Parts: sequence; structure tokens; C-alpha cells
Amino acid sequence: MNVLILTLAVPLIAAALGGFGGSRRFKEIVMVGGLALTFILCLATAFKFLGGTVPAAFGEALRVDGLSALVLVLGGFVGLLSGVYGVGYLRRNEARKLVTPRMRAEFFGLIPAYVFAMLLVSVSNNLGVLWIAVELTTLASVFLITFHDKDTSLEAGWKFLVLGSLGLAFALLGTVLLYASGKGHLGEGMARLNWTQFMETASTLHPFTLRLGVMFALIGYGTKAGLAPMHTWKPDAYREAPSPAGVLMAVGMLNGALYCVLRIHLISKAALGPAFSGDLLLGLGLLSVLIATPFVLVQWNLKRLLAYSSIEHVGIIAVGFGLGSEAAVFGALLHMTYHSLAKPVTFFSAGTLAQLHSSSNFDRIGNGTLSRAPVASGLLVLGSLMVMGSPPFGLFFSEMIILRAGFSGPHVAATAVFLAALVVLFCGFAYQIGRLVLGPPRDPSDRRVPAPERLDVSTATAIVAAIVAVVSAFYLPAWLLALIHAAAAVVGGGV
Amino acid sequence: MTTSDLLILCAAGMLVSAFLMVGQRALFTTIRLYGVQSLFLGVVAAVIALSESRHELLVTAVITVALKAILIPWYLMRIIDRIGIHREIEPFLNVPASLMVCLGLTVVGYRVSTGFPQGGRGESHHLIGVALSMLLIGMFLMVTRKKAITQILALLTVENAVFLVAVGVTPGMPLVVELGIAFDVIVAVLLLGILVQRIVDRFESMDVSRLSKLKG
Repeated sequence: MNVLILTLAVPLIAAALGGFGGSRRFKEIVMVGGLALTFILCLATAFKFLGGTVPAAFGEALRVDGLSALVLVLGGFVGLLSGVYGVGYLRRNEARKLVTPRMRAEFFGLIPAYVFAMLLVSVSNNLGVLWIAVELTTLASVFLITFHDKDTSLEAGWKFLVLGSLGLAFALLGTVLLYASGKGHLGEGMARLNWTQFMETASTLHPFTLRLGVMFALIGYGTKAGLAPMHTWKPDAYREAPSPAGVLMAVGMLNGALYCVLRIHLISKAALGPAFSGDLLLGLGLLSVLIATPFVLVQWNLKRLLAYSSIEHVGIIAVGFGLGSEAAVFGALLHMTYHSLAKPVTFFSAGTLAQLHSSSNFDRIGNGTLSRAPVASGLLVLGSLMVMGSPPFGLFFSEMIILRAGFSGPHVAATAVFLAALVVLFCGFAYQIGRLVLGPPRDPSDRRVPAPERLDVSTATAIVAAIVAVVSAFYLPAWLLALIHAAAAVVGGGV
Repeated sequence: MTTSDLLILCAAGMLVSAFLMVGQRALFTTIRLYGVQSLFLGVVAAVIALSESRHELLVTAVITVALKAILIPWYLMRIIDRIGIHREIEPFLNVPASLMVCLGLTVVGYRVSTGFPQGGRGESHHLIGVALSMLLIGMFLMVTRKKAITQILALLTVENAVFLVAVGVTPGMPLVVELGIAFDVIVAVLLLGILVQRIVDRFESMDVSRLSKLKG
């Protein structure tokens, strides 16, 4: 059987099993087992690609090239981490009698469903299927955001769904206009909407229609990626979603949406030259980094802080792709990879701290967490160092590559602004985390004593994620590097 | 009456219904207007399907009418009935001013539509003009109205605009994609409906301007 179809079928089956009856134990085994198998299958698909064959299905509606393979592997990895962490997360809540059977079914059903949709995004070659898959990720995540059923989570869920749907309506219009720009020369059947088809006929596409389509599609998928100024759903959603779902959004969805943005960008580049969508990406990316700056400096909530960090990183990656030179593209893809490895560590440790204190607000958690929850705090510091882009970790190098490419290209002024914003963000993030973790310990007369930290499945997952992230900074396996190079070959360099 | 006249008439009908939605405060009527708008869209698809013998477009027409002219309006009306809120409160911008803004948006929409290639049919210019105008009007509705149901309708108006472009200027989406999109749209509306009910249960109002706790 086709390994690609199997990769997608496994999480879907896990979702169906998890969403219906069965004991908690059974659901846990299904989710972890299913997601582990999914990750293995993702690797198998990627290795099949590296072996020289192009895995494809349904008349190339699903097709794995270098870019797909990279996003697929990262998605599978994050899916597995989030599944294992999720088991521990829900167990902690069970112990505090916070979980109803309905929530259990939603959790064990929606997380694998989300992983399925996310992986489907990363292997879609057909622009119609791509849109449907992105919409599926949106639909799967709504009830994860409203999971705790509080006032604020309803608000976040509503904003997320309305803004997300509007963005997707734009993306659909963009897709339709791209299709219209083919003036009926794109062939027959499903293949009419295939990305590969667009790339082959790029020179015959109608320029005005195409330009309008690219603009709408980039704004639409940019909304899902959380590029400013369409980022406003992100802090709300990240704060309200349970941490395992937060990781899926912050890494899986972010990569998936960037994948969509890139596919559109590449069509535009082939038909209109690199300047049009490249400059748009550069502008949106720069704006994202700039907008994140003040909000990081005055942030009052740990998970919202992570959301603004995510807006920063999506901005950095967009700037890399927008610059468009070979080095910048490679830097952006490397950044995407390292970000996917480092971000879960911060989310998992922040999630643990939030669970211990029943809130993710800084004033509820209080300063000096290092004395109360040494493991989670230590991991948070480590994860933050990686996410901030401090040496010797990976994100530092990828940022340097992008900056160097920027200064040696035509966009020197923009790169200078970009660098300044990065420096401020670095300091802001360090200040916030330092204040939280170190700071003077809480007044002993304070009676809101948190539950003691336990070494459970979730903590173990966070430690494993941290080890993987740290090791990756010094040793990137040859196959992963090959995948990044293959992805860079798809995105193409040279202005 | 020629096919072209009929298409232009239906497109005009869609635009008029969008304008009426802007001027309307009774939620039931707004939902019915959306239903009428979707019906016009279905007719546009059916007319193109028959006049150019592109029979897969008939499927689009049937899906559009069944889903957007009947099922979704019925579902939204049921929600309103259950929660017992029937009128939109004072919008952020009053009705005459809103209509003037929408008039301006229509001019913008038509102006942009002149950049498209004329295509086989002379009326595709009108279809795109109407679609882009409806897109802008839908977005305008979304930012100026406070009731959750009106926001859903604004979203659906934008969706209709996209489909008008799809049937008007493309050779028709592949059927599988079409069905997938229809499925996603219906699930999205279902989820929005469930969320509205949860919001009303919690806040005893579906005034989304009260959803303002999350900032910074």
C-alpha cells in the first residue's frame, strides 16, 4: 500500500477511535501509538523521497517534494511530542477532577484529527485540496481552543473561527483567481488545480488576474500563519488552548501555513518574477517582527508571550523567503526546522507552570518559580534561550544566515530595521523570562500555594524534547540536512 | 431575454440583497436575504451550466441552493428562535452612512474588475464587479455589526462572492474540490452556530463587542 496514504490514514483512524467510547487507558494507548506510528510513516515517506522516488497519490493531488517532506517530518515529530505530552496533561487535569467525559472525547479525537489535517496540508499538491486541508485544521482546532469552556476561551474561539474563516475565504478567492488566470489552459480533471501544473504553465497565466489572486491567497494563508497585521487571533488562541494543542498550532500550523504561502509565492515567482510576492513577504515579515516588539516588552501572560514569539519567528522566516537569495532561503528553512524543534520545549514547560498555578498570568504565577518548580523553570530557561536565538543554539545560526544574506542584498535598510527589532525582542524576552523564573521568591505568607511539581509523562516529554533540541544545535543528522537542502532546491535561490 | 441579460439580472439581484442586508436590522429578514442571495447564485450557476452545456456546474447549482439557500438559513433561524434575540442593535455606523460607504465599495469593486480579461462572455465583467463589491460589503458588515449572527452572515456573503467569481470566470472547480469545500463550509457554519449558543448561554447576549477581555 502507498506509504503516503498510510501516513495520512493512521492519525485519522486514531482520531476516530479516540473520539468515541472506550476507557481512558485505551484512548491514551491509541493516541500515543497512533501518533508514534504516524511519525515513523512520515520518516518512511521522507526517506522514500530521499531515495529518489516521488511519493504521490490520487493523480498527484498529493505529492511529496523536498518542501513537503521537510514540513511532513517536522509535523509528524511535533504531533508525536504533543500526543505524549497531552496524555500527561490530561492526567494532571483528571487528578484535579477537571475533566468531563465530553472533554476526554474531544481531546483524544481532535488532537489526532489536527495532526491528520496538518500532515494533509504538507503533502497537498492540489491547491483545492490544500485549501480544504487548511480549513480542516481550523475546524479541528476550534474546540481545542474552547476546551476549558471559560469566558475567555469562548472569546478566543470565536475570534479565531471568524478571523480564520475570513482569511480562508480570502485564500479561496485567491485560489479561484489563480485558477481563472489559467484561462482554461490548465488541463482537465483534478490536475487543473495542481501546483505542478501551475508551475509548468506559469508563463501563460494572465498577469492581472494572477497578481490579484496571489495577493488574496497570501493574505489569506498569511492569516493562518499569523503574519501581522492578521495576527490578532494568535495570542488569544495560544493562551486559551491547552498546551499540547498550542504546540500543534505554534509549530504544525505555522509550518503548514508557511507551506501554503510558499506554494503561492513560487507560482508568483515563476510567472511574475521574484519581486512582487517577495516584497510582499518581506514587508509582512518585517511588520510581524516590529509588531511583536512592544507586546513582548509589556506582556502580562506567559502563553501570550510565546504567541508573540511565534509571530516574531513567522516574521523572520517570511523575511528570509522575501529576501529570496539562495542563502536567505536556506536560512529561512533552517530557521523553520530549528524553531519546530525548540518551540515545543518552551510550550511544554510553560504549560506545566501554568497548570501548577492554575493560570498563565505572570501575576498569578508569581516570581521566582525556580524554587517551586525547578525542572519546569529550568526547561523554560533553556527553551527560551533557544527560541530567543542565543548562541550556541540553532536559531542563532539561522538568524545570522538570514541577516548576512540581507546585508549583502539590495534590502540593506530593511535588514537594519529587522536586526534592531530582533535585538529588542531578545532583550524583552530575556527580561520577561528572567523576571518570572529568577526574581525574588513569592512571599511565604501567600496562601495560593501551587501543587508540587511531579516527574510524570509530560515532564519526561519536555526533557526529551529539550535533549533533541539541544543536540540538533550541534549535530543535525545528514538526512535532515538533505531534506532542508531538497526543500531549498524547491523554493529555489538566486534573484 | 437572453442568457446574458439573465446572468446580469441575477448578479444584480445578489448585489441588491447585499445592500438590503446592510440596511436591515431584523435578523430574520437578514437571514432570508442571504437565502435569496444564495438562490440567485444557484440560478447563475444553473444558467451558465445550461447555456454552455457544462454539466458539472449543475452540481454546483444544486449544492448551492440546497446548502446555502435552504439548509444554512434554516439552521441560523433555528438558533435565533432558540435564543430569542431577533434584532440587531445600533451598529457602529448608522444605516444611511453605511449605505453610502457600500456604494463607494461597489465603485471600487467595479473599478478593479476592469483589469480582468473579457473572456468568452461579455457579462463576466459584471459578475466580477458584483463579486468584488459583495466581498467588500461583506467585510464592511463584519467590522460594523455587533451581533454574532450578523457576523456569520457577513462571512457567508464573502463566501458567496467567492463562489460567484468561481462560476463566473473559471471553467468550474473540479468536483472533488467543490464537494470538499461545501463540506468545510457546512461544518464551519455548524461550529459557528454552536459557539454562538455557548456564547449566549454564558454572556446572556450575542453582542460580540462584549467579547473584549483579551487584550495586549
